[in-house]
Amino acid sequence: MSNAAPTVATAVPSDTEKSASVEFRGLRRSFGSATALAGLDLTVQPGELLALLGPSGCGKTTALRMLAGFETPDSGEVLLDGEDITGVPAHRRDAGMVFQSYSLFPHLNARDNVAFGLRMRRVGTAERRARADELLELVGLPQYGDRYPHQLSGGQQQRIALARALALRPRVLLLDEPLSALDAKVRMNLREEIRRLQQELQITTLFVTHDQEEALSMADRVAVMRDGRLEQCATPSELYARPATAFVAEFVGTMNRIAGHVGSDPAVVEVLGQRLPVDGTLSAADTDVDVLVRPENVLLEIRTSGGGPVVTSTSFLGAVTRLTVQLQDGSTIKADLSTHDAAGLPAGSSVTVRLPERPVLVDTRS
Amino acid sequence: MSTIDPLAPTGAAGADRSRRRLRSSLRKAAAGRVAVLPLLLFVAVAFGLPAVAMAYGSFTTYAPGQPSHYTTGNLSASLSGGYLTALLGSVKLSAIAALIATVLGLLLAQAVVTSRFEVLRHAVLSASGVLANFGGVPLAFAFIATLGNNGLLTQHLHLTAAGWNLYDLTGLGLVYLYFLIPLMVLTVIPALDGLRKQWREAAQNNGAGLWQYWRYVALPVLTPSLLGGFVLLFGSAFAAYATAAAMVGAGGAVPLITLQIAASLNGNVDANATNVALAMSLDMVVISVLVMAVYLPLQRRSARWLV
Amino acid sequence: MASVSALNSPTTAAPKASRSSRRSGGRPRFGRTAVLVIAALYFIGPLVCSFLFTVDSDPAKGFTFSAYSQIFSVAGLWPALQLSLLLAAATILVVFLLLIPTVIAVRLGSPRLRSVVEFVCMLPLVVPSIALTAGINILLRWGTEYLPPTPFWVTFVDMQNGSFPVILLLAYVVMALPLAFRTLDSGMRAIDVRTLLEAAQNNGAGRARAIVTVILPNLRGAMLNAGMLTLALVLGEFTVSSILGYTPFAVWIVNGNAADDGTVTTAVSLISLMLTWAALLVMSVSGGRRKAASNKPAT
Repeated sequence: MSNAAPTVATAVPSDTEKSASVEFRGLRRSFGSATALAGLDLTVQPGELLALLGPSGCGKTTALRMLAGFETPDSGEVLLDGEDITGVPAHRRDAGMVFQSYSLFPHLNARDNVAFGLRMRRVGTAERRARADELLELVGLPQYGDRYPHQLSGGQQQRIALARALALRPRVLLLDEPLSALDAKVRMNLREEIRRLQQELQITTLFVTHDQEEALSMADRVAVMRDGRLEQCATPSELYARPATAFVAEFVGTMNRIAGHVGSDPAVVEVLGQRLPVDGTLSAADTDVDVLVRPENVLLEIRTSGGGPVVTSTSFLGAVTRLTVQLQDGSTIKADLSTHDAAGLPAGSSVTVRLPERPVLVDTRS
Repeated sequence: MSTIDPLAPTGAAGADRSRRRLRSSLRKAAAGRVAVLPLLLFVAVAFGLPAVAMAYGSFTTYAPGQPSHYTTGNLSASLSGGYLTALLGSVKLSAIAALIATVLGLLLAQAVVTSRFEVLRHAVLSASGVLANFGGVPLAFAFIATLGNNGLLTQHLHLTAAGWNLYDLTGLGLVYLYFLIPLMVLTVIPALDGLRKQWREAAQNNGAGLWQYWRYVALPVLTPSLLGGFVLLFGSAFAAYATAAAMVGAGGAVPLITLQIAASLNGNVDANATNVALAMSLDMVVISVLVMAVYLPLQRRSARWLV
Repeated sequence: MASVSALNSPTTAAPKASRSSRRSGGRPRFGRTAVLVIAALYFIGPLVCSFLFTVDSDPAKGFTFSAYSQIFSVAGLWPALQLSLLLAAATILVVFLLLIPTVIAVRLGSPRLRSVVEFVCMLPLVVPSIALTAGINILLRWGTEYLPPTPFWVTFVDMQNGSFPVILLLAYVVMALPLAFRTLDSGMRAIDVRTLLEAAQNNGAGRARAIVTVILPNLRGAMLNAGMLTLALVLGEFTVSSILGYTPFAVWIVNGNAADDGTVTTAVSLISLMLTWAALLVMSVSGGRRKAASNKPAT
């Protein structure tokens, strides 16, 4: 990566266009008996980076490809800046796409790859070359214009692909798991660069990934999908702290389920011998429930008397150590402690388990 | 500060260990060579002997009862007169038929690859395997029955009156297409399969319509394969004998070098004809070597792009 | 800010009227169909005509299948076919004996070994079969001239024995090598040979035993393929056999039946073509199905 940061003049297009908004309305798509999308409603705000996150088969890639024009919905609309583009063919859409892999044309060098779209628009050779060089500089590969794809590493290829996607100044940038095929370290670097570029250009961006860490660290908002439906669309912190469904709670980060009971008062739950307020409103009272707690919110203290919860194993994770604790009812939970604090609680230690005096998330007993 | 590599063999024990490692890798290499030995020996005998004999015979004379001596006369005879006409005829026929079959084979292969019916692909691939490799006898018969002097189409469409003759170079070319097009299909289908879907989509994403995609992406990427296929087809047409022999019989009726060689070998011509036939064979080998020399680098290039 | 249990599943809006989801792309499809139709006409047409020729050539006899019934009684066909089948079986056997160790050694060996083997298997392509025949021809002539006083004479004559000419076998094996090698080699490419061998050895099998029990069963498809292609090659081979003066299957079709007006020989060639194609088609379909089954991920 070049040391000189690109100047503002080259990074931001001189004609500052207003960022575009994207809307998916009621998108449905089935492939034979398999349903890819079962009614997706989602709006992407101008200039934001929205991550589509979910397990394989949840429909996130299908939705992205519908925006690019490679898939047509069975019903529903795709709107760009309020105008319906569902019927517009793929080669006339204004959405630059970065594919997961192998998308660079093998017979063209990096510069010609980047300039391809401009060539289709019949832009003159000199102007094409200048713009391509400008973009190569933007992605940090100014000296690589004459290299061919097979001479480039995976990370370099994806940077060229990114430059190519931006060449025509699209209104939307689409990224289809662009980092999945790369090594961990390269992935980290590229992740930050994509985010930096996106913010400088203020381009509306849709980013598909199955890696929740990627989504949480990069995006302005994250849309969690499952089985063709939207589970929750919120900022990363809200997603983490206030998951709307059990699936989101367990997909994003790790979540413990501790047995608890709601009595006559539906606003209070009894768990681990404590009475804690319920976060949100419950529909029914007098039921057994599961209390959802993040590992970092579990408080452990060494217990001098025997019996009760026991630490069964510890996992050193660097700054944090994750302890597996077996509760009295036989279930196990995970607790994250700083390594310094965890030193006093090796496997086999008897502990007391407490939760902080805060409202807790509650789900029906599974 | 010098660093010590704990794995590097040191001292006497180390030298012994590395010697053992070398020996085991040598043993593995030797095992490989032993496994390949039968093949090499067989090829040396069953192929090498006739090949060397052919080369030797091209440069010697033969007259019964007299000792043979070295000469370039056979070679010069093979490149003059009727023999030269036959050689040029073969080259012309092969080049034109290969060119037509390259284009048509590409069209057919693309139609098969993009079809929705998987059965069609299996059917065409297996049929191509048969037609390209089986040899030209059945297809010669099929064409005689269709377009020969008494063939079905010839009679119903009165083609002889229009000047049609199956038994000249044009007619033969039409028959050659019957195994050249399948050969092209077999060669080019892996290349078409290798055209990644992402390239089409990336091209569309950059504003290229169907025609632009083919002109700027697909055809350039396919060109090494197409050229390689053309060269392979040329070699195949050039070496073909069975079809022409089945239709026209060995001899000078149609100027083809393979027919000339067969005629000379059958000994109906003068005694030295066999050696001239060997010289003609040598000419053919030279041309085939040139064909291979062009084909192999092209194949390597296309393999790099389309893997 | 609803609690987890209270969250409803996302509301499903009533589906709007569905539009045709498949873009029919009219123009490319028309061109594709036209190409397929023209190709079908060119390739199937002559076959149909030759079939019609076999059943309806003589205006006096009219429409008859007599050509096909004569197949069983016509002179020379069965000996010729037997010779071809015998030679084919022998060729396949020799080809496998030579190539299977080779193909395994190439997979496990150095790239240099591979280049050597690929070069050797490319050689028969460089020398056209007519040229090879010329070379064999002159070898035979020299043999007839110089060998009689030597102890090799008997073997020499034996090799050209009409009922099983070893000389033809040698030529056929050479011609079959390029295609058979390519088929077996790409079959090897589909298996991770090194890992399988190491896993077998790790479980106690010696090297040779590992090869026989682990590699060969996985090569079955490729071996079948190579065998079929070699069979087709031998059955259709005309150049070497006719010039050296033998009468296997293809030579009989062209020269064998002088008495007949050609209906029987045409019928025979048609049937052989159809049968070979059917066999290859079955292999291709079953091979594809087997691959699809093995690629399906475990649920």
